[in-house]
Amino acid sequence: MSLTFHIPGALREFAAGQSTVKIDSPCKTVADALSALWTAYPALRDRILNEQGQLRQHINIFIGNENIRYTGGLSSPIQDSSEISIVPAVSGG
Amino acid sequence: MIGQVLGHCRITAKIGEGGMGVVYRAYDELLHRDVAVKVVKKGAGLDASSSQNLLQEARASSSLSHPNICAIHEVGETEGDLYIVMELVEGKSLYTMSAGTGLPPESVLRYGVQIASALSRAHDRGIIHRDLKTANIVATPEGLVKVLDFGLARRMGGGVLEALTMSFSAVQGASSVSGTLPYMAPEILRGESVDARGDLWALGVVLYEMASGRLPFEGRTGFEISTAIMREMPKPLGPPVPPGLWAIIQRCLAKEPLQRYQRASEVQAALEAVQSGAIVSPNVAPDQDQPGPPKMTTMHSVRHAQVKKGDLLLLIGTTKGAFILRSNAQRARWEIGGPYFHGHAVYALAYDDRAGQHRIWASTSSYWGTLLRSSPDFGKSWTNPQEAPIRFPADTGTSLKNIWQITLGPADEPNLLYCGVEPAALFETRDAGETWTLVRGLFDHPHRPRWLPGNGGLALHSIVLDPANKQRMYIAISSGGVYRTEDGGSTWTAQNRGIRAVFMPDHYPEFGQCVHKIAMHPSRPGRLFLQNHWGLYRSDDAAENWTDIANGVPSDFGFPIVMHPHNPDCVYIIPVDSDEFRCSCEGRLRVYRTRNAGATWDPLARGLPQKQAYETILRDAMTTDSLDPAGIYFGTRSGQLFGSRDEGKTWQRILEGLPSIVCVRTAVVDGGSASTVRSSTTTRSDVTKSAPSHKTHRSSSRTKTKKK
Repeated sequence: MSLTFHIPGALREFAAGQSTVKIDSPCKTVADALSALWTAYPALRDRILNEQGQLRQHINIFIGNENIRYTGGLSSPIQDSSEISIVPAVSGG
Repeated sequence: MIGQVLGHCRITAKIGEGGMGVVYRAYDELLHRDVAVKVVKKGAGLDASSSQNLLQEARASSSLSHPNICAIHEVGETEGDLYIVMELVEGKSLYTMSAGTGLPPESVLRYGVQIASALSRAHDRGIIHRDLKTANIVATPEGLVKVLDFGLARRMGGGVLEALTMSFSAVQGASSVSGTLPYMAPEILRGESVDARGDLWALGVVLYEMASGRLPFEGRTGFEISTAIMREMPKPLGPPVPPGLWAIIQRCLAKEPLQRYQRASEVQAALEAVQSGAIVSPNVAPDQDQPGPPKMTTMHSVRHAQVKKGDLLLLIGTTKGAFILRSNAQRARWEIGGPYFHGHAVYALAYDDRAGQHRIWASTSSYWGTLLRSSPDFGKSWTNPQEAPIRFPADTGTSLKNIWQITLGPADEPNLLYCGVEPAALFETRDAGETWTLVRGLFDHPHRPRWLPGNGGLALHSIVLDPANKQRMYIAISSGGVYRTEDGGSTWTAQNRGIRAVFMPDHYPEFGQCVHKIAMHPSRPGRLFLQNHWGLYRSDDAAENWTDIANGVPSDFGFPIVMHPHNPDCVYIIPVDSDEFRCSCEGRLRVYRTRNAGATWDPLARGLPQKQAYETILRDAMTTDSLDPAGIYFGTRSGQLFGSRDEGKTWQRILEGLPSIVCVRTAVVDGGSASTVRSSTTTRSDVTKSAPSHKTHRSSSRTKTKKK
């Protein structure tokens, strides 16, 4: 299964400077895919999830154009060739 | 031409010439300023229609107002020649500056951000540059970038472009200006319509050239260059170019416009993200050859204060980053370093010179979580941990929101530190920050479920160590109150007798008070002062009982409370109007000082704004230094930093225009001595170390404490 992660600018230093990361790994859910991403780039984990394994409050993950907050969160299913975007929310001051 | 008048500009000198035009220095006799005048010669490839278009577009571009865009003041014709009067920019072109091996990454980022900002403004106004290149970007000696010739390229042939884009690099000896072909996007070469993304491609070329000193697409002929642009990938840039910058350049140079950044503001944001600390230093990263991010991040693109032995430092935390200011003992002028951690809130800072080190600790908080970081070299490089070092254990079900306080252990335990965090908890490290442990005795306290968050969250914001008793420590929580341990943190008791909680049915509960800050003088550890959410208190019995000392202050609502460094009877506060209106009382910014432990308070206002000054000073945004006479410093939510070098008699505004200031700390740099901790960060050692180091002390015996 091939997945593509789109890495936001602020996190690229933790992904060898890449804007996209391709992962070849059998994954059923976003959580599986993220685990595969941490395996390659472990420092991304604490920037995206808190220490309880929950998605940080102001971070959104999209599969294609769909925000996983509306599709089952980290349990959202993914498919081969899914494009997963990690995006900071539009919030703050 | 010299001496002629074009419009109202008298030509004074010729400063460059290209194939199609001449650039002159001129004096605007109407507005009395020096300007540059570019004259495009007759027959320079312009027919009548093109001339009119050039004039129209130059006029449109003259509406652009941006600090990084060379302003066009006037356009006109003289005897058939077109002339353009523009801002005189004295500096070197990036073409000249990049020649050879390129510029340091920090310069590439600094200039790149400015160029992207200029493009963003122009694109927002519908103006596309169309001929962006290093030859028409000038950097002044102050580091300000000016992009020349916006909008002038639309109707022009290449030769005319060359003339028009000739800049002051000619003065600097660059007699020829490179053509525009190496900067042209593939879609231009394909003859397709061009939009703003063509400028972003050119920006990628400019960044590459600045970073390496060479063009990304080269060739001996125009055909070879065109082929390279259309088909080849640029040669990768390795260290010292940081990976983040290389990634940005690659995206700018995507062959298909849709694969590039779509807006200049995106490029600007990406460059700023790298500036903020995403730059890998090959000199610092100890495991550079290993996969994964560096353990240290070098702040290449940040201006650093050049710290020397004997300097006084001001560490400033704001909601959008940190600053390090330095001065000498006179404290008259300040050199500013920063901002560090662009866009990250820095609520806690501390300077640690125990065991001969010079370490600045900082908490950073953003979308991406909260980290405790430290710098061994006054901000030039910072730890960049893969995992957040402070984290709640899984069984707590709790996650870290912010680090509010960093407190050093005693001088003889240089690896011991404490952090107070939100949600309210205390962490400690005994290995200088490698591993942190949740202080369970406090976290498991039966009161904890009934603590309530204040306006700023449920924060443990104050940690006070007893320098005479290593087993005793005080903490304060908003809203939970004061707690004390007598056994090194295993057990804790609420110590709030006499402190009001106006928002509770019982105004004097055992716990639950919204304490804003507590302070202790190390020479008198049994006595504490407390600024409450309504209420100003002193305890003379190690927090067993608290006495109201709001004698004559305009309001007993406020946030910070700080001790004079040498006088245990002297305390400073800044009252604000009320809970509802948390601004300086009556629009007058006044510090209040007691020199008799709270029996009376005096306003200190000389030099502070006294009209329409509705300022808020947060709990950690005030501090003192350890010099004599003592310096007092505070920052406002409006981003102003004030200081007094005479113990509060007179004040000066040190800085304004910062983001909201949430933390102010001081430190004296002692040059590596392990003996004396002289920081506004309280340590247990202060009682024995700092007191003898100052020649003059205001003894507590000079003023009699009046107990109520």
